[in-house]
Amino acid sequence: METGESKKLLSIRGITKAFGQNLVLKGVDMDLCGGEILALIGGNGAGKSTLMKIIMGIYQPDAGCIFINGKEVQIINPSVALEECVYMVPQEPMLFPNMSVFENIIMGFHESNATLKARLQEIMADIGWQMDLTRKAITLSIAEQTLVEILRGLMRNAKILILDEPTSALTFDEVESFFRVVKELKNKGIGIIYITHRLNEVFEIASHVMIMRDGVITLGGPVEKFTREMLVRGLLPVDAEHKVENGSVHAAIDYEHLEPAFELKDFCGYGFNDISLKVYPGEVLGVAGVVGAGRTELVSTVFGRDKSLGGKVYLDGKEITGFSTAKILEAGINYVPEDRHYHGLFCISTIAANTTSALLPTPEMGNFILDTKNEYSITQRFIDLFRIKVIDQKQTASSLSGGNQQKVVISRALSTEPKMVIMDEPTRGIDAVARGDVYNIIHQLREKGVAVLLVSSDIEEIVQLSDRVVTVFQGRINGEFSKDEITVDNLTIASFGLTKDEAMV
Amino acid sequence: MNKIIKVLTESRWFSSLLFLIALFLITGAINPTFLSYGNIITCFNSSIVFILLAVGISFVIMTGEIDVSIGSTMGLSAAIAGSIAQQNGSWVMMVVYAILLGLAVGFVNGVGVAILKVPSLIFTLGTYGIVRGLVYIYSGGRTVENFSGAFTRFSNSTVGNTGIGIYLLIVTVIVLIINVVETKTRQGKYFLAVGDNYDGAILVGIPAKRTKLIAYILCGIFAAISGIAFSSKYGQVTIIAGSGYEMSAIAACVLGGISLSGGLGNVIGAAIGAVIMSSISRLLVFLGFSSEYDNTITGILLITIVVLDSLLRQRNVENARRERLIARSCSKKEIRKGHSQE
Amino acid sequence: MKNKLTNIFKNWEFTLLAILILEFVIFGSINPKFFRIASIFSNINNYISICIISLFVTFVMITGGIDIQASSIVGLTSITIGVLWNDAGLNIWMAVAIAVLLAAFCGALSGFFIAYCHVQPMVVTLGGSFLYSGLAQVISNFSKIPAYQGISGFPGKNANGDYISFRFLGKAKLFDLIPIQIVIYLILIILCYVLLHQSKYGRRIFLVGDNPKAAEYSGINSRLIIFSTYVLTGIGAAIAGILLTAQVDSAKYNLGSTFTLSIITAVVLGGTLTSGGKGSVIGTALAALVICLLRFGLTLCFNISSQNLDLPVGIMLILVVSLRQINRIVHHLD
Repeated sequence: METGESKKLLSIRGITKAFGQNLVLKGVDMDLCGGEILALIGGNGAGKSTLMKIIMGIYQPDAGCIFINGKEVQIINPSVALEECVYMVPQEPMLFPNMSVFENIIMGFHESNATLKARLQEIMADIGWQMDLTRKAITLSIAEQTLVEILRGLMRNAKILILDEPTSALTFDEVESFFRVVKELKNKGIGIIYITHRLNEVFEIASHVMIMRDGVITLGGPVEKFTREMLVRGLLPVDAEHKVENGSVHAAIDYEHLEPAFELKDFCGYGFNDISLKVYPGEVLGVAGVVGAGRTELVSTVFGRDKSLGGKVYLDGKEITGFSTAKILEAGINYVPEDRHYHGLFCISTIAANTTSALLPTPEMGNFILDTKNEYSITQRFIDLFRIKVIDQKQTASSLSGGNQQKVVISRALSTEPKMVIMDEPTRGIDAVARGDVYNIIHQLREKGVAVLLVSSDIEEIVQLSDRVVTVFQGRINGEFSKDEITVDNLTIASFGLTKDEAMV
Repeated sequence: MNKIIKVLTESRWFSSLLFLIALFLITGAINPTFLSYGNIITCFNSSIVFILLAVGISFVIMTGEIDVSIGSTMGLSAAIAGSIAQQNGSWVMMVVYAILLGLAVGFVNGVGVAILKVPSLIFTLGTYGIVRGLVYIYSGGRTVENFSGAFTRFSNSTVGNTGIGIYLLIVTVIVLIINVVETKTRQGKYFLAVGDNYDGAILVGIPAKRTKLIAYILCGIFAAISGIAFSSKYGQVTIIAGSGYEMSAIAACVLGGISLSGGLGNVIGAAIGAVIMSSISRLLVFLGFSSEYDNTITGILLITIVVLDSLLRQRNVENARRERLIARSCSKKEIRKGHSQE
Repeated sequence: MKNKLTNIFKNWEFTLLAILILEFVIFGSINPKFFRIASIFSNINNYISICIISLFVTFVMITGGIDIQASSIVGLTSITIGVLWNDAGLNIWMAVAIAVLLAAFCGALSGFFIAYCHVQPMVVTLGGSFLYSGLAQVISNFSKIPAYQGISGFPGKNANGDYISFRFLGKAKLFDLIPIQIVIYLILIILCYVLLHQSKYGRRIFLVGDNPKAAEYSGINSRLIIFSTYVLTGIGAAIAGILLTAQVDSAKYNLGSTFTLSIITAVVLGGTLTSGGKGSVIGTALAALVICLLRFGLTLCFNISSQNLDLPVGIMLILVVSLRQINRIVHHLD
């Protein structure tokens, strides 16, 4: 029990926020004390980022109040938030691409360049991160950009630090040193709100946890009082009717009598080398690895989005190396991209347009004039099949929830009736119910004899769904696992580039 | 010294300066009579109007927006200055009216673009039409002429015997001051920051809307001041004065290394680009081309430069990306031996 | 009821139609001569180049680009026809064909830099506007006839005083009432409507404008699509140039030089988003009509001379877009 008299660092009462018709926050209450690391977890669309942006002054609440150190504050813009010693490290890095790292970090500060440079170097020495301060931000990788954002936060001497999924793009080493710094800040009495999707991080670093669902805080308290199962249950809506199928229900695959649907031989490209693998019809081949291992680069090169540097690609025995995306689609491969907003979704186009966009070259969609009747029935088929919640096919894709958007993208990937479908992080950022639906879709694909190449950073997801798994480490395959060998431990060890013996030291 | 070299090579305006010098040298090589102090100084002297326009619009372009109304603003201000000159009115009055006009137009543009978030091309298109109509109304459909001699002669007056025009001197000083403010002061850097990443600027506490509003006000004021220089130089203001100048000002900024998407560039570049734009016709005369080739050459120049610049930048970014990916897949980075060791 | 009203207004084309009706009511009540069909047609005729080109620029702007060089291509087409027919002695229709090819090539050149070299459309077409108007100037000097005078005397008047051949395109009237240009414009509207809103090609244009990366992932050749839209505007500008030259019986290099901003105004007023992915041929056509009638009505009813007309058009544009934005802000849509 905290001393009842200690003023809470940050208190939020009754925050409500709507965007147009969409009520995102429905009366949020939250407390944060100095020296606490509060993990905030919740599905996509639960409102976590919106709440943080309100604290940071980027949005204004429709109702409710914010108290800092017991005093009510009106945070009308980020300048006010910065003055109140609040700082947010955003989920997506928001650097200035044409400025150097140094200029990026000091932008907005009032002190002299010399003072700031000295302080920055001190912090960098403390963390042990090396970074060329003169590099232009546009040349940085996502991971490096994240580091710069974190450095900005550390420079701010913030009393309240908000970290929005800071580790999603970091390597194992960087995460370790980052956690060390965060714990030090905690010891200095700084209050930290830590948003994450990764439940293991909650137990590793947080002192308190809060679960947000559908715009309200549903559960919260000190971390010791929770188990993983409690957290997961807290995330699911009360009426979750879908039971996610257990991996053991899979029918075994008879590899003896099957030819691979898809094969890579010594495939090399930007970010990966000497990749050789086979995918059989009706199987799910999981591709595990840490962020940055090169998996997305591999599959997008296969899909024709980048040049390959060597090796061969075969589909149903026919060579398709170096084919353009259009030809790959024609040959029978389709792809659910990793980032649905950048590469997957046509936001202001209708759901029908989204679903059928890959089908345009086919005669099904007409010869010159678009066959809207066919378009309607194709789209409706997927809406019914995947239970996509829509009011009307003419709705714009951006008006759907994250889970339904993902279903639309998957529909498009399946509309061309591919022999193999590549799924890259198919359940990223969608709520548990939608995730269950996606898993069912994958099972249906297996039954239909479609080959599935599943790329995911969620090891449990891979374990649950895959028939076989390969692990990728630093651009190379460093492990192959058959059905019995697929365990969370095995995959985790291999993803980090270790062998079992090394890990058992 | 190394630092100076580094700053220069990284500055986009430096490449523009080299380009300008190259243009002069090439012209001089083909026609040696060009390479006289008088000719070169004339190139600078006669680019005053363009410099002022380009400098003004560079603020807006750096924030990632555009303003196509500056030609009309210049025309209206020129007409006003002209009619003041007709009655032998004072300089001060001209400047005051110019500043008020520029402020008004810039403020309206700023509100529309920064506060209401109307796309800048569209909103300034509207003000372009409105101000253009105002020019016609103000001048009653007639050319404003018959200015006092002193006014027009002033555009030719120089500092002592150096041949450097008084206007040129004033403008150079202004450009240098602006450069210092933009690169050294905190608020000066806001323009580029807002253009580079609008949301990122807000996040670090930069008053982004206010910055854009100020950019438009400055742009309007400079456009209006350029009108004074315009009427002083030409001695008359027709009803279509200024038409098309906005495109030349934008072209000047592009030639000066300012990116139309914002976040890149420098006011010195705008000034140099303006000198390039206005010198082209003069250079072509020395090269033996009659004036009808002006637009063609300008067009070829503009397209060549932006295409090369774009291709170069893209190649650099793409190469950097590919190197990074290759490094990631070949590195022998040491990995700590997992959780089990802790 | 209120909801239904707001729903109707959400459809921008209905709003434009309402404004059109309003114009008829207001101007007509002040001066009934506004209703004279012949005058309306003749007025629209004066503006027809802008109407035609804006149809095609709609395609470009839906892909997220912009085209400010089209007006230069008008003059280029005109003078090319003139010089080829007058000085090179070519058959008039041959000259027309070559001019159209040249215009398409100009569009293609800029389109290439925009689509395949990824240079910003505004800058490329800015350079293009200088280049192509400059080219027009240079070509005009190949003629014996001085540039400022313009080449005239095009074939097309027979013994009866009827217009045939080339000048038919400029002066003929269907049913003795509807100018041929308006008929051609209507045909173009139908063609563009089918091309943009009903064909697979048009669907690709919308998708590329919405998200070019996602379009690539769907196997759509984004670059080719973007490239093609600039070729289209080149051809559209050529058509406008041909009609204008035939109408005024004069081939001049600077024909059309003031059209650019009016074209953009018509497209934007028609509901096309500058960020791409949204737009409509009907919207553009209606907007062009709204602007035409505004100019006509103001001239007729308030005796405002044509030079002043930029002002009310500018005011209307600003009012319309500002109100649209204020509506979005009030409904928290931003």
